[in-house]
Amino acid sequence: MPVKYSIHPHEALPRFKPIIRSGIIAWEEGCLKCAVCVKKRCVYKVYDQRQLDGRQMLDSIDVLCKDCYRCVQGCPARLINKALSPSYSQIGDDLFTPEVIVKTWAQATTGKIPVSGAGYGGVFSGNGFDSMWTDMSEIVRPTRDGIHGREYISTGVDLGRKELYLSISRDGSCKLPSHPTVKLELPVLFKTPSFGAVKKPFFAGIAAAAKKLLTQAIIPAAMIDKTFNPYLAHVIPSLNAKTRLNPALLKKVSLVELSDHKDVMKQMAAVKKAAPKSAVIIRVALNRKSAARCLQLARAGAGILHLEGLDSGREKEPKNGRYLKDVITEVHFALVTASVRDTVRLIFSGGMAMAEHVAKSIICGADAVAADLALLVGVECMLCRGCEKGLSCPVSLEDVESGWTTQRIINLMCAWHNQLLEISGAMGIRDIRRIRGERGRAMFFEDLERQTFAALGNKIAGK
Amino acid sequence: MRITPETKLTVFYCQNCFKEDSRILEAQMGSEVALYPIACSGRLDPLFILRAMEQGSDAVCLFVCDEGMCRYFEGNRRASKRVAYTRTLLDEIGIGGDRAFVRFLTESEKAKPVKMIAEALANARKLGPSPLKSASAKRRKK
Repeated sequence: MPVKYSIHPHEALPRFKPIIRSGIIAWEEGCLKCAVCVKKRCVYKVYDQRQLDGRQMLDSIDVLCKDCYRCVQGCPARLINKALSPSYSQIGDDLFTPEVIVKTWAQATTGKIPVSGAGYGGVFSGNGFDSMWTDMSEIVRPTRDGIHGREYISTGVDLGRKELYLSISRDGSCKLPSHPTVKLELPVLFKTPSFGAVKKPFFAGIAAAAKKLLTQAIIPAAMIDKTFNPYLAHVIPSLNAKTRLNPALLKKVSLVELSDHKDVMKQMAAVKKAAPKSAVIIRVALNRKSAARCLQLARAGAGILHLEGLDSGREKEPKNGRYLKDVITEVHFALVTASVRDTVRLIFSGGMAMAEHVAKSIICGADAVAADLALLVGVECMLCRGCEKGLSCPVSLEDVESGWTTQRIINLMCAWHNQLLEISGAMGIRDIRRIRGERGRAMFFEDLERQTFAALGNKIAGK
Repeated sequence: MRITPETKLTVFYCQNCFKEDSRILEAQMGSEVALYPIACSGRLDPLFILRAMEQGSDAVCLFVCDEGMCRYFEGNRRASKRVAYTRTLLDEIGIGGDRAFVRFLTESEKAKPVKMIAEALANARKLGPSPLKSASAKRRKK
């Protein structure tokens, strides 16, 4: 029996105290001096461990509190209140909301799936991936002994061009061009974030994590030096039109990424000549023209396409960029309609904030995704983007160590992997490749709205 | 007035005072000001002020809502009493109680955070460097 793919997390404590949703306002004045104070009865010993961090000006009661409200309800003089933490509401953006960031920190620390408690208090639907729901019809009949049990759920994907048919010559011999294929055990690649105060140890940490997780890390070729030597088999050098090819490096890696340009197929041929065993990825900007461009590249012989969106989870358009969910579907079905979808592998990046985004992207038509900002958040980034304005990083990302980064990313991916297994198990799927483009296994808000209200509109209009 | 790079002002403010993101305000004010929004000014403990002075601040300013405007009814009154108490502690240890001050903000003043913080910074500059700084500098020379 083949060895099962599993990730083993180890706790990697944060360097800074994490910000939580709400803080305690505990007033001392007017205290009745009860014999047994509610603060003494705190089950998490929050008040007993109270101390003030001078560096962050953070009171430990605002970090350790688990929002059980026992002290708030128990104080007879009503001296304890809870309030939303102002620092909490200031972190993140529309996609990486404060909740997503805090949960990512927790996942990177422990490697465990975040649990938000019973019930869901949020809005019914949102934008992008928040307007689709995966099929959970098999949740009542999961695997016999859990997601890590005897029924193996594979999350592996193969990257490389596939030919649709064999060509047989007149003498009966088979002419099949051999295309190098790379197997990833996780449908998540790593990519360097577009900003961040991080330095080389962070990128080396990503590469080391990719090696341990049996996936790949896309790193700009100019950044790759001897520090990356132990991980080169799991590093994808990213080249642009002007980058000079380094044959020695290309022979050591299994994948090479080229940015899209007019003569990219010529550059791809040059790379294949220099390193015949390496598969080539072409990075294409995700915009309104990307479906047509992907079709063109697939027909020209490209094997793997990396479609890069914006950090906000939208396509790269100056105005009214569509959400990734819609663009992935468009590209996937454009290739399906042209009967070339099975020849290429599609990787999407930009705005992969949570594990559910990976599963939802695959349902919309992706083969794999690349995470970037999520990795940065994994090492405690708050996405304040102060580094872009030349301000100092509030969590000193320039000082992160390589080993600590590796462990945080392994933990984060362990939590994402477990969530992928949960989603697959609930869908009755035993292989993540099986759900690629299976839009029928998900519900979309716009479809539901149309089904529910379209007939009503017709009635009113008298049709 | 000449800008002395050494001046360091720590500002605590109730989140209901200024709606702007603290990082945007910090970027506007420069490296001399460190801003810490708190859920309610009544949340401020004297220890916060003492720890800020220990961390190298020349002055600590607390912005609170105007009298009777506190969301938690008496948070601003409690905060001003705590600052008054901390001032006595700072006087006793020779740092100077006037280095910690409270500013009650009216609704119109709440709309001008940069102006309010600039005034507090000017006040801090008038006070000069904290005696704690000169004491630590002397110790380093020895």
